[in-house]
Amino acid sequence: MSAALQWIVNAAPPVGVASSQPFDVAQLPNHVSQAIWRGTEVGQAGQAVVATGFDALDAQLPGGGWPCNSLTELLQPQPSLCEWRLLSPVLAGLVASGGQILLVGPPKRPHAPGLVKLGISEKNLVWIAADTPAERLWCTEQLVKANPRGGAILAWLPQARAEQLRRLQVHAQSCDCPVFLFRPEAAQLDASPAPLRVLTTLGPDWELHVRILKRKGALLDGTIVLSSIPGTLASVFTPRLMHPSQLIAKTEASNVSTLGSAVTRRRLRQLAAH
Amino acid sequence: MSAHWAALLLDDACDSSLPIDPLGIAVWALQFTPRVAQKDRTVLLEVEQSLRLFGGEDEVHQLVEAGASELGVSTLAWAPTSLAALACARVGLRDGFAGPLARVLDPLPYECIDAVNAHGATLARLGCRTLADVRKLPRGGISRRFDSQLLLALDQAYGLRPEGYPWVTLPETFLARLELPGRVDTAPALMFGARRLLVQMGGWLAARHCGVTAFTLHWCHDVMRSRDAGDGGEIVVRTAQATQNVDHLCRLLSENLAKVTLLAPAGDLVLSATEVTPIIEDSLSLLPDARATGEAVDLVLERIEARLGKKRVLRPVLTEDTRMEWMNRWQPMNAKRPTTKVRQVSGPQPTWILKTPLRLDVKNERPLYQGPLQLLLGPERVEGGWWHRVKDAEGGQRSLNVARDYWVALSQHAGALWIFQQRLPKDETASWYLHGIFA
Repeated sequence: MSAALQWIVNAAPPVGVASSQPFDVAQLPNHVSQAIWRGTEVGQAGQAVVATGFDALDAQLPGGGWPCNSLTELLQPQPSLCEWRLLSPVLAGLVASGGQILLVGPPKRPHAPGLVKLGISEKNLVWIAADTPAERLWCTEQLVKANPRGGAILAWLPQARAEQLRRLQVHAQSCDCPVFLFRPEAAQLDASPAPLRVLTTLGPDWELHVRILKRKGALLDGTIVLSSIPGTLASVFTPRLMHPSQLIAKTEASNVSTLGSAVTRRRLRQLAAH
Repeated sequence: MSAHWAALLLDDACDSSLPIDPLGIAVWALQFTPRVAQKDRTVLLEVEQSLRLFGGEDEVHQLVEAGASELGVSTLAWAPTSLAALACARVGLRDGFAGPLARVLDPLPYECIDAVNAHGATLARLGCRTLADVRKLPRGGISRRFDSQLLLALDQAYGLRPEGYPWVTLPETFLARLELPGRVDTAPALMFGARRLLVQMGGWLAARHCGVTAFTLHWCHDVMRSRDAGDGGEIVVRTAQATQNVDHLCRLLSENLAKVTLLAPAGDLVLSATEVTPIIEDSLSLLPDARATGEAVDLVLERIEARLGKKRVLRPVLTEDTRMEWMNRWQPMNAKRPTTKVRQVSGPQPTWILKTPLRLDVKNERPLYQGPLQLLLGPERVEGGWWHRVKDAEGGQRSLNVARDYWVALSQHAGALWIFQQRLPKDETASWYLHGIFA
C-alpha cells in the first residue's frame, strides 16, 4: 500500500523501495493525506462537535468533543450519579452562548441553585417532567426534530428499545445540538444505533472512570480517568478532603480498633473532617 | 392595465360535506389581495398587483388553489377579466390564459354570463348558442332590443370596458361559524371542521398582519341533547408567541381537544380570535437561512405542554430562601418571570434534590445509604421558616420551620451526597435524611 502510494507521488516506478521504513503521510499531497485513515486512529467526526471540557476525553472522542449531529449514549450504574459532573463544562459553555438546556424525564428534581453555581443559568433550563417511557420518547423526538440550536437535549430513556433509538438517531442527524441519552449500565449489552456510547463510573478521590464502549474508529480498551470534584465543593474542600479514600481507610482502621465499643456522638464529630 | 382574476365558485349542491360560507372565503382571500369581491355564491379576486410579492404567477396559483381546496371550494378558474374567469369556472375551464381571451370565450355557451343568460329565451330563439353567436349580432340591434346590461357585460368579459366592484372589507374581529354536516360525538372529531375555520382565521390574520395569541373554539350542542348537558362548551387555546401558522394552531387545538369529552353531540362550531397582536413577519432572504430549519423550540415546548399538562413543562425561578425545598420553585413555561434579582446562597449546593427527604438508616451512629457514608464537610446549619405557614389536612395551620445540620457525605456507590440531621430541642438522637446529590 505504502509502496503504491509512493509510486503515485514520485511518478516513478518502485524500484526496490524499502518498505521497512514507516510510511510518512507528510510526503503525500494534502488532499490525499486527508483521505487516508489508519485503523489505529480515532475516526473523524465529519460533523460539528462541542468540546467536553476534559482534555483527556476530547483526545479520545472522534472530532475532539461531544458530537452534534448524532445521539450520544451515556451509561451509568445508577441514575442521578454523575450527569452534571460529566456534562457541566460543556453545558455551561452552551448556556453562556444562549443555548437552552432541555431535560426530559430526569430521575430526580433538578436543583437550580446548584446548577447556577456550575454556570448553568436557571433562565436557560427547561424541565419536562415526562413520566412514562412513551411520553419521554415522544418529547425527546419532538425536541430533536425542533433542533434547539446552540442548546442541548438531555433525556433519560432507561427503557428505550433499539428501534426507538434508531428513529431518534435518524432525526438527530439533522439536529445541530448534542443529544445525550442517559441509560443504565445494563444497556451496554444491547446493540444501540448511537454512534457514541460512553460508560461512566465513579472512581476513588473524585475521579470519573470513563470507558468508551463505541465510537467511530478504533476500539478503546482502556479507561479514561477524569478528575472532577462535583459542584462547587472544590472551593470549600481542604487538601485532605481532596483525597477522601485515605480518610475512609483511616476511618475503617479506627472502626476496627474501637470494635465492640459504641462510637460516641463526639467521636463521630471528630471523624468528620471540617 | 392587465389584470389577473380568479373566480371561486361555491356549488349549492356541493360535493364537499360541509356547507361553505362565501363571506368567510372572501375574508380568507383578502390575504392575497385587497381586491376581493363577493356576490351570491361566487368570490372574485384580482391578484395582478400581488404576483411579485408571492413569487410569481405559478406560486400564487398554487397557494390560492391549495387554500381553496382546503376550504372546500370545488371550482376555480383564472382569466384576465372577472366575468371571463367566472364563465370559465362555470364551464369547468381552469385556465383562461390558455390563449387570447376572445378565442377562449367564444366557444363557451352564453349561459355562463349572467347578464346574457337573462335573455336566454330570446337568444335561443334567435339561434344563438355560444358567446360568439351573441357577439355576431349587430351591437345597435342588441342595445335596442335587449337592455344595456348585456352589451356592458359582454364588453367587460372581453376586456373592452373596465369592471368595478364593491370590494369586501376586512372585519375588525374574527368570528366564524360552521354547521357540521352531522352530529359529532367525540371532541377529536371536531378537528375536521375546526381545521377549516382555522384556515379562514389564518387568512384573516395574514390580511391584518396580526398574530393570534389566544383563540376560542365554541361548540353548540345538538337540540336533541339531554337536559343537563347545557348549550355547549368551549376551549380557549393560548400560545406564547403570536402566530399565523395554521399548522401549529391545528396541532395545539388537536392536543387540547384530545382531553375534552363532549357532554352531548355537537352540531355547530364557532371560532373566534380572542387575543390578537400585530406581528412583524420575517422577510425572506435570498440565501437559504440556516436558522429557518426546524420548528422554533418554543412552539414545540408549547405542544409538549399541551399534551402533558401545564405542570409538566417547567422553568425554575430562584427565590431567596435558605431552605433547600424553597430555594427554587418551578413554574409553567409561559408564566411571567419575576424581574427582581436574587442573591445566590453561599456555599455548595447539590444538583439533584429529592422531593421529600429520604430517611436514612443508621448503623454504629453512621448513616447508611448504599453502604456506610463518610461525612466530609459540615455541619452547615439551616434554620428558619417559622414565617411560612400552610394549611394542613385538619384545617389548622402548620409552620414549615426547619432546623437542620447539613453535611456533605461520601458514598462509595452513590458519590457525594447532601444529607442532614434533624436538630431536636433536647439531646435526643436525631435521624439522618438524604436530601440532595452532587451528581
